[in-house]
Amino acid sequence: MFKKRFLALTAAVVLVLSILAGCTGKDPVKSNGESKSKDQVEISVWLTPQWKGVMDPSEEGADYDSFFKYAAEKFSKQYKDHDVKVNVQVVAGDQRDELLNVNLNGGTPPDIFFESVFAMGDYAHRGALVPLNDIVDDEAKKDITQNYWENVTFGDDVYFYPFSHMPGTLAYNADMFKAAGLEEYLGGENEIKTWSLADYEKILKTLKTDLPKDKYSNAFPMALYALNNQADTWNLAYLRMFGNEFFDGKGNLVIDDAKGEKAAEWLKKIYKDGLTNPGVESVSSNDVNAMFQNQQLAISFTNSVLFNNAKADMESGKTPKFDLRLANIPSESGDPLTFTYVTGAAVFNTEDETRMKVSKDFVKFFSTDPELVKASKNGVPVRTSVAEEFKAEKPLFEAYDKNAQYMFNFTGNVPGYSQLRQVLYPELQALYTGQKSAAEAVKSYQESGNKVIEESKANSVIFNK
Amino acid sequence: MRIKRESIKENLTGYLFIAPQLLLFLVFVVYPIIEGIRLSLYRINYQSETFIGFENYNRLFADPVFVKSTINTVVFVVFIVALTVIFALFVSSAIFDKNAKYVSFIRGSYYIPVMVSMVVMSMVWSFLLNPANGLIPYAARQLELTSVNFLGDTNLVLPVIIFVTFATNVGSAIILYVASMIGVPKDIFEAAEIDGASRLEIIFKILIPMVKPTTIYIIIMNIIAVLKIFVVIQLLTGGGPNNASTTLMYFLYNNAFKYNQLGTASAVGVIMFLIALVLSIPQLRAMFKKD
Repeated sequence: MFKKRFLALTAAVVLVLSILAGCTGKDPVKSNGESKSKDQVEISVWLTPQWKGVMDPSEEGADYDSFFKYAAEKFSKQYKDHDVKVNVQVVAGDQRDELLNVNLNGGTPPDIFFESVFAMGDYAHRGALVPLNDIVDDEAKKDITQNYWENVTFGDDVYFYPFSHMPGTLAYNADMFKAAGLEEYLGGENEIKTWSLADYEKILKTLKTDLPKDKYSNAFPMALYALNNQADTWNLAYLRMFGNEFFDGKGNLVIDDAKGEKAAEWLKKIYKDGLTNPGVESVSSNDVNAMFQNQQLAISFTNSVLFNNAKADMESGKTPKFDLRLANIPSESGDPLTFTYVTGAAVFNTEDETRMKVSKDFVKFFSTDPELVKASKNGVPVRTSVAEEFKAEKPLFEAYDKNAQYMFNFTGNVPGYSQLRQVLYPELQALYTGQKSAAEAVKSYQESGNKVIEESKANSVIFNK
Repeated sequence: MRIKRESIKENLTGYLFIAPQLLLFLVFVVYPIIEGIRLSLYRINYQSETFIGFENYNRLFADPVFVKSTINTVVFVVFIVALTVIFALFVSSAIFDKNAKYVSFIRGSYYIPVMVSMVVMSMVWSFLLNPANGLIPYAARQLELTSVNFLGDTNLVLPVIIFVTFATNVGSAIILYVASMIGVPKDIFEAAEIDGASRLEIIFKILIPMVKPTTIYIIIMNIIAVLKIFVVIQLLTGGGPNNASTTLMYFLYNNAFKYNQLGTASAVGVIMFLIALVLSIPQLRAMFKKD
């Protein structure tokens, strides 16, 4: 009896100990990117899809992480302080905030994030990033013009090392224009065409009626989308079409006026008139981009990187070939509307001094290395020296330069922008589904948006320094 | 005292055997619940936690999106559970006494969607219903029929989600019902037939009352599952249009991971936990009654 009980007791103890051993076991080698030994450091780089390839999307095996893998290899070879391993991970743009919030709250943020500054500014306000002032030297300040530095400066500190920028415009399918008899509205191949608002409305109507159905079945004139938080930038531009300034001097939304209402009314009208893709309220930017590449839309949104990627996809045979050109977002005044995303790297506060130092050194390396900075030609270089070098090869750089005078700052540099974009698309959906009138939609967007801005200001470590 | 100590000593082996499970339960269930309740009383950012009492709850009840999420969740629970139980009862009572191969075929057919991941099912439905490039709207346009946006119409979006979730889940209920109905003693049916009872009378007066424990189980399990409805919302509608299809779980997810409002998200979690607890009480009572 005693023996039997003793055996059962021993078995139970072994079971408990085995579970506990499983819980406490630690593998010293795989310690989630922590320093393995004095001279070996592992850092992580996250990025959202930017350009493919190291220097060019036409390279064999070109992918979104190619540049950083190449830069990491080059950096590790020449870096003397530590043996550095860089893990590169591409994350989807619409999953960025989820991934970052989970990892920040869990104490495992990436070391470096390469992304458009507008989408990451909030992390600087929340105290998750470290200033990069110490890695910006006079040479860089001279080569990169002041307006780009202003974009990446929050309070007194630089939080992103500017690499390239991506001007946002419209893209159009010149073949579809020709098929609809719209030759007179075509711009040059290296031109960003500016149409008046009246011309633009005529183009949309003609595309709807005169586009040959046999050649372009199931095709629509213009891309419009409002499914999720990606529906911000171009929609923000459309909401300025009738002269609304969007933000006042104090950084509050002022969309609720006659001009803002007129713009919202215009968006609803072109949707109801069938001048856009159907189901705007349930369609994402990815959906319309795919439709445009499949020639189901004649006019869509683009930026310099998307434009180059679309061209590369055509060259590689992934998507049908067509004559792809650029145009400006029109406005009632006649002056076009344009904006840009400055992209660059930020370093997260991981509280590991060694990793933060190595991360800063890596950011400085790929943002200043004479060979690597040439990759910024995939967007538009922020460095004057690189822009000059590729001027002849990339004639659009000059067109973007001419356009710069019409540029507006779509974030207004307000804190809480990433939450501000979360409250925009439900209002657009309400507008398109008829739940709210144009006046009601702009009014409630202004109310909820200003509430977000006010709360974010109160919680900003930069505002409350 | 001595008796108590002896009783503990006697049961020690048993306690040690359940200890691993108990430990995991405490670490992965009880601790997160307590931590969730604690966090719901704080305002949290990366650097600090500030105690704010019930402010998160007050803000929630004043938020129209939270109210809408709660109403939608209740609508989903009521309609999906009712549809599942009625349809599963209908199919099972029609087939349970038929040829074994036929029963297996029907059971298998309804169970296939249950085996496929909800993510895959949602993507298939998205491919069918996407208003811009989905198959159904495309076919409607080609046939020159009025194109309806199933995912963008505030009146249609809830019925569409109810149907998609019901179609994906009903297989499990059918399996449970068929098993339960096959277990009902045959002599009861034979006696009823001799007494001249019709098929409908047999179903309503014998079969359905006999499978009542299964019905209670299906209702409670489905209520708890539908309370957590998330994947289909995230992949099909994103809570839209204008929050028309948002649910408590989706609202929680947005607050926790998109807006980084961990305190608010925890408060939603606590409210969902209380609802699930209240709804589980009948099941717990039934279990204790048996003992």
